[in-house]
Amino acid sequence: MQWAWLIPVFSFAVAPVIVLAGGRLTALSRVPGGAVLSIAAIGAGFAFFWIALLGWMDASAGTESCYVAAGTEALTCNYERTWFNAGLPGLDGSVALTWGFFVDPLTIAMLGLVTFVALMVQIYSLGYMHGDPRINWYFAVHALFAASMLTIILADSFLLLYVAWELVGVCSYLLIGFWHERPAAREAAKKAFIVTRIGDVGLLVGILLLWREVGTFSMTDAFAAVQAGTMGEGVTIAAALLLFLGAMGKSAQIPFHVWLPDAMEGPTPVSALIHAATMVVAGVFLVARAFPLFEAYNATPLLVVAIVGLVTALVTSTIALVATDIKRILAYSTVSHLGLMMLSLGAFGYTAAIFHLLAHGFAKALLFLGAGSVIHSTEEQEISRLGGLRKVMPLTTLVFAIGAMSLGGIPILAGFWSKDEILQAVSQGRNPAFIVFALITALLSALYMGRALFATFFGKLPQELEHTHESPPVMTVPLALLAILAVGFGFISFNWPGAFGGFGYFVFFHEGHGFEFTWWIGILSGVMAVGAFVFTWMVYERGSISLESARRRFAPLLRVVENKYYFDEIYQWTIDRVVLVFAGFVAFFDRAIVNDIGINGPADTVRRLGVALRLHVTGHLYSYALAMTLGVVALGIFWWLITA
Amino acid sequence: MSNFDSVALLLLILVPLAGAGLMMLMPGDRPRDSWYFALFIGAISLALSVLIFARYDYQAGGFQFIRTYDWLPGPMDISLALGIDGIAAPLLLLNGIVLMGGVVISQNITYRTREFFVLLLALAAGVYGVFAVRDLFFLFFFYELAVLPMYLLIGVWGSSTDFGTFLRTKEYGAMKLILFLVAGSILIWVGILAVYAEASGQGGGTFSLEGLARMAENGRFDSTFQTLVFPLFMVGFGSLAGLWPFHTWSPDGHVAAPTAVSMLHAGVLMKLGAYGIIRVGIFLLPEGAENWMPVLIALGTVNVLYGAVSAMSQQDLKYIIGYSSVSHMGYVLMGIATLDRIGMGGAVLQMFSHGIMTALMFALVGAIYDRTHIRDINVLNGLFGRMGVTSFFFVIAGLCSLGLPGMSGFIAEFMVFTGAFRTYLPLAVLAVIGAAITAVYILRLLARTFYGTPPLSLTSTDGETKAGWAEGLTDAGVLEKSVAGAFVLVIIFVGIWPEPLMRVINVSVTTIPGV
Amino acid sequence: MVDLVWFQLLSAALFVIGLYGVLARRSAVLILMSIELMLNAVNINLIAAAAHMEGFGSFSRFDGQLIAIFIITVAAAEVGLALAIVLRMYRNRSTVNVDEIDLMKW
Repeated sequence: MQWAWLIPVFSFAVAPVIVLAGGRLTALSRVPGGAVLSIAAIGAGFAFFWIALLGWMDASAGTESCYVAAGTEALTCNYERTWFNAGLPGLDGSVALTWGFFVDPLTIAMLGLVTFVALMVQIYSLGYMHGDPRINWYFAVHALFAASMLTIILADSFLLLYVAWELVGVCSYLLIGFWHERPAAREAAKKAFIVTRIGDVGLLVGILLLWREVGTFSMTDAFAAVQAGTMGEGVTIAAALLLFLGAMGKSAQIPFHVWLPDAMEGPTPVSALIHAATMVVAGVFLVARAFPLFEAYNATPLLVVAIVGLVTALVTSTIALVATDIKRILAYSTVSHLGLMMLSLGAFGYTAAIFHLLAHGFAKALLFLGAGSVIHSTEEQEISRLGGLRKVMPLTTLVFAIGAMSLGGIPILAGFWSKDEILQAVSQGRNPAFIVFALITALLSALYMGRALFATFFGKLPQELEHTHESPPVMTVPLALLAILAVGFGFISFNWPGAFGGFGYFVFFHEGHGFEFTWWIGILSGVMAVGAFVFTWMVYERGSISLESARRRFAPLLRVVENKYYFDEIYQWTIDRVVLVFAGFVAFFDRAIVNDIGINGPADTVRRLGVALRLHVTGHLYSYALAMTLGVVALGIFWWLITA
Repeated sequence: MSNFDSVALLLLILVPLAGAGLMMLMPGDRPRDSWYFALFIGAISLALSVLIFARYDYQAGGFQFIRTYDWLPGPMDISLALGIDGIAAPLLLLNGIVLMGGVVISQNITYRTREFFVLLLALAAGVYGVFAVRDLFFLFFFYELAVLPMYLLIGVWGSSTDFGTFLRTKEYGAMKLILFLVAGSILIWVGILAVYAEASGQGGGTFSLEGLARMAENGRFDSTFQTLVFPLFMVGFGSLAGLWPFHTWSPDGHVAAPTAVSMLHAGVLMKLGAYGIIRVGIFLLPEGAENWMPVLIALGTVNVLYGAVSAMSQQDLKYIIGYSSVSHMGYVLMGIATLDRIGMGGAVLQMFSHGIMTALMFALVGAIYDRTHIRDINVLNGLFGRMGVTSFFFVIAGLCSLGLPGMSGFIAEFMVFTGAFRTYLPLAVLAVIGAAITAVYILRLLARTFYGTPPLSLTSTDGETKAGWAEGLTDAGVLEKSVAGAFVLVIIFVGIWPEPLMRVINVSVTTIPGV
Repeated sequence: MVDLVWFQLLSAALFVIGLYGVLARRSAVLILMSIELMLNAVNINLIAAAAHMEGFGSFSRFDGQLIAIFIITVAAAEVGLALAIVLRMYRNRSTVNVDEIDLMKW
């Protein structure tokens, strides 16, 4: 278990090797060398995840750096190393910047998700990216991406977390802009990086604020200070909210959600990775990790988390309902589900949020990879031009259906259980308004998933797509593996007999609790999901229900939603009319005021004076002689005056 | 102490100086030979710098490699006193690296090559001198030696650019630079004389930095005097460090300067100013420094934000980097102004990091401009496809500039933030926002210049329309690539393992009064 | 002995005539001659004063004469140089009119 830090290190190590030697490896071995290295590294990471898990299960408090953490009351193992000293060691006020790692249930759960999904995505990419001239670069950044995310998960200090956090940002920038020749990809990459970077300002300020209070970057120390009450209420709340700002940026919460749908400009497996495992869940993870901060002092920050989560979930699920691009539907559904996770955290549903994070991760990876399979075969991603693909791509259809139903909350699939836990947490933790809107979100989520499924794979197959065929096994096998989890993952939340006892006894905050099932919520959400799927099936497969009249009646509303509530337009306007104008003004100020008036002004004055003064040099002898004479006369008069 | 140590610093100053002298004796019509000779001198300087840095004993700390040569004893008490501490040591190393890079990159200078290298080496000798002396008089002497060649280097070998709405000639750039720096020098000289006079009045007239610092430590300079004199140093040295609002010489100077000169200018020369504020201002006038630090940190923050926002709307590659230098020097000034161990350490590290990073950027811009004759980011496009390695290195430099972890810039900026958070919280928050704005203009630059597809034909700055322009474009040459590669290695090395630099810096930062 | 004031009057008259010549004449040669007049006016003044002021303070009989001889020597050299310049000027510009020779202005 003390070797858990190797999990990201494998991938970190191969990234530069691929960049430097990938081309040569490919030339030697005929398979893409970079891909093999990268997959081997993440595969090793996946293997070490099991070692970490088993090691943790064997460990007990008091042995081998393991203890029961104060905040979570969970068994935590913490290993620390010094990175470098800012200030002399041993002196007052010196700060050793450390890197170290936790192995606790939260970490282990996330490790499993990230290593597994990254492994699947990378294998899948072998097929999807086959023949791309920059495939080595792709896999190098992929490895770095996964490694950074794994570091976030393992980090035991806010500093290390921030380091990895930024690396995740830059990797997403590089991958979204992978096809940088496309203007859209270029802009999307820039947007992703800048929007998340704005959130990161909050994160960094929050981290430094904590450091100012605690004196170290160690999370354990910060949480201990909160527990002990040595950190003031104002600071704690401010720090928590600032951290949440960073989480909002990464997890694409409103109003920072705009980058995520555009991020699909990258290759589809990248979208799968970003949406399922490596990037957007980092925000949720951060809130979970810093839960002791959020929960202190009457949990004021958690209310903010809950509201932001709910608004995000609701607003973006309506957008997903009307989006016409299959990847865009999935992207908005991700935002919506992230909102649900935030809502769950905000409603003290710690376990539920993480559980949904995992279940959603498997299902979303599956959906994106399935969509990638469709795009790979048809080179089409508008659902209006797709349809009936189940006849030509049966396997993809099957796994996509599983993913969609799991995410839509069809009973006994993983998504049903996890969503149910969230709803239950919300109903217990927050006032009834929250549960009402959460249920609406759940319904919408089933509706748009059904729409994506039936519009793409059912209905009439367009003529030009008749010669489409199934993707190669290297792409479908990962899909099948993910599908198994999307179906069966939910069962681990049950109260199993024996040592394990269910997910609620594994990842928890304060105290573990067993599986609970509130009948009215379960039945209501189950019925809603099934109903939604049936409804969309009738619309898109049978064609027995037409939406035209509803469409006409709500045309103005529809237009607002189809335009994504004009978020992009507002931002664009702000950038064009405010930010760039201001920057232009500053540049103009620098040139016109500081430079031309402030600098050139005095210079010109001196020059003009010189021009005026030099006129006395006439070149005429007599004028000089006259001046001399007058001067002597003047001196004489002066002398006479002072002697007289 | 071995024999080498006692002459190391003298050698370090004399090698480029003697190189410059010897080069004047060489025939002027053989540019290649001049370049080889300059390479030789640069390599020796680099080797000496590395050796000295490596031999600096970070456990002992304090001034090392001490050697004093009497020059004007008696009441003036001026001596060529050599010695470096942990603040100067990384900067010596920086100068060695940037000088070598600058010389290598200058292989394509054909006009009056010999004279170019004579001046370049003289400049480098001046920089070495400033970092290596412990005497106020000689510090000023070497400071001037470093500054004055700049005028000729820009005025003779520079380039003029017509930006449509305004024109920037190389003469203008050179003149502006020299006027600013000489005006700054006057303030510094007045300050130096004032300090000397005050010390004489106290019965201890000397130009020795250590002697004066000791007097300051013993409270021999009264507080009013310090408060009156410190701004002379702050503004005088500050104008070389790009202190707002005395920064405008810097971007214009970059636009006019040839590549190697830009590298030394932003890479090393601007650091002289910051170093001067620490070494002269804070060491000699600690109380005055303390009184003025709120002003300095406020100006530093203005630097950060103002430089970043200005860079956001520039179109010319060199202007963008020039303003980004102004912005990054703001972090150095902020770090100094925190008078905090971490902030100050961050400031020194930022000097080193920014020196390498910005030199790298200018080297790459030079490589791009040599091939395309364009620096307008609205015109350049899709260089990734044609100049892959150059673009790759530029992306790394850009990421370092925006403070990506794993690169040297992050460590330095992070330490500055940390220090500032302890002392001036609101300004520190503003500086963090400045770092986010940096991301905006850097990404804008990268997206416009390197991504996308190259246009089929375009009109270059000199009005020529070239069809099939991008086809003939070649990547940077082996020399340029190796220089850039070496710089990138330094950036990443420091970013991942800053300990070798930090332990040297830390040991001396603690000796700064007030820290 | 003639009274000192007569010498001084003569000297002053010569000096003013010379000054007028320098200011009013156009020909470089005539200006030079006027300068000679002024110098000689000074010489007369000096010698006369020396003769009359013997034993006045620390002055001796020869001080005035010495300075006068010195002035004559310098004036000779000066005229030699100036005439050479005037000659070159005439060669170059075919004129010795100082009004037309105003190259060294602003």
